[in-house]
Amino acid sequence: MVGPLLETKLHVPRRRRGLVARPRLLERLDRGTEAALTLVSAPAGFGKTTVLTDWLTSVAAGQRPVAWLSLDQRDNDPAVFWTYLVAALRTAAPGVGAGALALLQSPRASTEAVLATLVNDLSASPDDVVLVLDDYHVVDAPEVQDGMSFLVEHLPAQVHLVIAGRADPALPLARWRARGDLVELRAADLRFTADEAAAYLDVATGLTLTTADVAALEQRTEGWIAALQLAALSMQGRDDVAGFIAGFAGDDRYVVDYLVEEVLARQPERVRSFLLQTSVLSRLTGPLCDALTGRNDGKAMLEALDRANLFLVPLDGRRRWYRYHHLFADVLHVRLQDELPDAVSGLHRQAAEWYERSGDRAEAVHHALAGGDVARAADLVELALPALQKGRQEATMRRWLEALPDEVIRVRPVLGVGHAAALMVSGRVEGVEARLRDAERWLSPTPDGAEEPPAPPTEMVVADEAGFRRLPSAIAMYRAGQALLSGDVAGTVAHARRALDLAGAEDHLGRGGAAGLLGLAHWASGDLGTAHRWYSDAASCLEEAGHVSDVAGCAIALADICLARARLGEARSTYERALRLVTPDAGPVLRGAADVHVGIAGILTERGDLDAARRHLLVSRDLGEHVGLPQNPYRWRVVMARIREAEGDVAAALGLLEEAERRYVGDYFPEVRPLPALRAQVLARRGRWAEALAWAQERGLSVDDDPDYLREFEHLTFARALAARSAAQGDARPVSGAVHLLARLLQAAEEGCRTGSVIAVLVVQALAEQTRGDVPAALAALRRALALAEPQGYVRVFADEGAAIGALLRAVAAEDAAAGYAHRLVAALGTGEDDVPAPAGLVDPLSARELDVLRMLGSDLDGPDIARRLFVSVNTVRTHTKNIYAKLGVTNRRAAVRRGEDLDLVPRPRDRPDRAAVPDR
Amino acid sequence: MTKQTAGRSADSSRYEIRLGGHLEPRWAAWFDGMTLTHADDGSTLLTGCALDQAALHGVLQKVRDLGLPLLAVAQLDP
Repeated sequence: MVGPLLETKLHVPRRRRGLVARPRLLERLDRGTEAALTLVSAPAGFGKTTVLTDWLTSVAAGQRPVAWLSLDQRDNDPAVFWTYLVAALRTAAPGVGAGALALLQSPRASTEAVLATLVNDLSASPDDVVLVLDDYHVVDAPEVQDGMSFLVEHLPAQVHLVIAGRADPALPLARWRARGDLVELRAADLRFTADEAAAYLDVATGLTLTTADVAALEQRTEGWIAALQLAALSMQGRDDVAGFIAGFAGDDRYVVDYLVEEVLARQPERVRSFLLQTSVLSRLTGPLCDALTGRNDGKAMLEALDRANLFLVPLDGRRRWYRYHHLFADVLHVRLQDELPDAVSGLHRQAAEWYERSGDRAEAVHHALAGGDVARAADLVELALPALQKGRQEATMRRWLEALPDEVIRVRPVLGVGHAAALMVSGRVEGVEARLRDAERWLSPTPDGAEEPPAPPTEMVVADEAGFRRLPSAIAMYRAGQALLSGDVAGTVAHARRALDLAGAEDHLGRGGAAGLLGLAHWASGDLGTAHRWYSDAASCLEEAGHVSDVAGCAIALADICLARARLGEARSTYERALRLVTPDAGPVLRGAADVHVGIAGILTERGDLDAARRHLLVSRDLGEHVGLPQNPYRWRVVMARIREAEGDVAAALGLLEEAERRYVGDYFPEVRPLPALRAQVLARRGRWAEALAWAQERGLSVDDDPDYLREFEHLTFARALAARSAAQGDARPVSGAVHLLARLLQAAEEGCRTGSVIAVLVVQALAEQTRGDVPAALAALRRALALAEPQGYVRVFADEGAAIGALLRAVAAEDAAAGYAHRLVAALGTGEDDVPAPAGLVDPLSARELDVLRMLGSDLDGPDIARRLFVSVNTVRTHTKNIYAKLGVTNRRAAVRRGEDLDLVPRPRDRPDRAAVPDR
Repeated sequence: MTKQTAGRSADSSRYEIRLGGHLEPRWAAWFDGMTLTHADDGSTLLTGCALDQAALHGVLQKVRDLGLPLLAVAQLDP
């Protein structure tokens, strides 16, 4: 993160003096801890923070550890927001969030992975914790709001969440209200009642006010606490209190405006000018105030204001940092603009300079922008770019860059390219090329072949010299990335080669990135040998640069390429090498380790060693998501689906593949085995050819298509489904159409040296010929496949075909040279056919939602009832139910409930009234 | 870059926002130069030209942050 973590944001605000006891509100908050969420929603100055701090120090709430987070504008960046939220939780529950923090620092983690890790930690935590998010209304970034929805939906029972703010949060509140999981304090509750107003004025002013006076004040302020506070201040030391009240009550000016004027008029000039000048600050500390006022009494002034209760909120226990009450700050600021309009930008610039000196770049940028000091802001942003990129703060990066005038970015090539990078990382293509072109004008005044560009009108500005030297290569690399995203393989290669040529010898990261892009481009075009060479280069550059997790990413690509070329042994040793890198003897396991185990499991599965494969998957799961790349959750499920299919549990395999689709996270890898096609393949093999053909139709596949590496697996699956249909209907016509397609696929795979594909095509060809009745052709194809596959120890590519290929394999086993291998494969067929083993434990745990459904399955509710309770459609409930059955290995509701009970999947009833009625078993 | 002028041409229009209570004219700058008029019923009328949706929401947020009662929002010339 750019800038230090501000401890003050995690500090429970100190209890203020002169409080009126408000037992009715505290009782309500106490009751709130039985629900999951408490919402304190009211405009500024309604005492939200005060009532919360009051409650937290009260006896009932005092038992629980409290995590407090005061939010501000800068928390609209997911990287910043979640870092603070985890830091806050760790103040209350020190054991949680280490994994989440590690993920937050990793450039490739999804927010969902961060939160899943955090939720797991919290649900394992022994203690309850109250998490308070104050000023939540400042959060408007959709990425943050989405993450909050996820967190709230998966919140473990140990966490009680309190959200306070001026507007209702964008969360599914209605649903929570309906479930009784929401307790609210709103403006109507928070307003001072007439009695509370009287009690407050009594304490705060020390005056004996008449009932009529109190009533007039209460009416004029409508119980608004901030206004009553200001009124009390205005009355202090005044002779003519009755006159003041009459004047106030008879005026219809904005209450705060009127009262602040009254308060300011009664302050000495020194105090008045201090208040106005420092009103530009969102946080105040003595030396910072001195920088703005040019005086040296900042610390003393703040202490005096604090004592006089002049709307200063202490932010820490040591009285070093304060802020003004929001309402007061706004009114002061408007007065400053009115009285000293020319001073405003100068004050901001002073603040920017002070923050820059004290190393808080984020605040410095904020004030430089507010003060119109664009040059300083641009310098600061440019210098902060590497840290922002490393810390994944793309949202902050975009916000800052978009606050700078276009003409400033255009003369700063480093900033321009930084903007292009920020756009690309957020998946936006628009505007990237223009930024790159702008930056390029400063590098080469006449790009070859282009028309004479207009001479740049002004001077170029560079703050980050090292970043400037890397620009030529970086620009070419971003172009390569753009080209790859748009499917332009030739363009990717051209730009990536240029990036490689331009990268300095020491720029390992740049060289590795360019080599990786070249590998990807050749992979996508099916040229696997070249792809493999580039990827090997990329891996050694990245290792040199110390980016070990990216080396693991390269290993996955290299192994995938090896598999396509039928080099199972080489794929295995590639993974073993990577595993040694990411699991060093000393120090923590590094990111990518979980992925490598999944890769090894995939190879073991193909070779038929299902037990060993399963062990690697369990190791991967135990390592946790924080040592996995974003793609790992779906890749894990794909391998597990293959294991389940091999064991004959087709329903489980299909369920896992569906889940993999939901967890799918794309990357730059070419999608050579798309998930829907994998699913269709299972369906086709298991006689469900109609569903498989429906998929093929949806994909627009035709037997007349030209071969294309990226669609190879889809075409092969389509042919398999046609063969299945012919076999089932006793009609050779469907499969006859596929024979020519298979011949073309075979030729293309042979030409591309994709031996892995050749084997798979030959297997389907053998089945197709058998179905057509040409047994000699079928045996010939199978023999070729066996000859290629035997040295690498393939099993499942044959065995998964089950009974369909059994006769052919037995025929080969009876006579051939390959007889021994064929015998082994015949033996492997057995597992797939009859017994469906019951799952020993839950390999694939139920999701939170599925657990909800499972619990309701144990009740008398029917499907539509469950749907209504969960606020989802009946279809969704059906899907959940199907998945639950698949995961539990059962086929009906009763069995599911019994199995769920045996596995202890339904948590012990907690002290919630609706569950207390459930008798313990 | 999204300059303020760029987005405002096509999708913007004039809005009238009515607030409870009188706001001093000095608040005009706070509301990005909108016009403040006091009505006889004790309310204040904020009028702004060429506000697009994002700018309108920005103004409403400022109203919210002052704790001023929001009485009405009307589009003047669609």
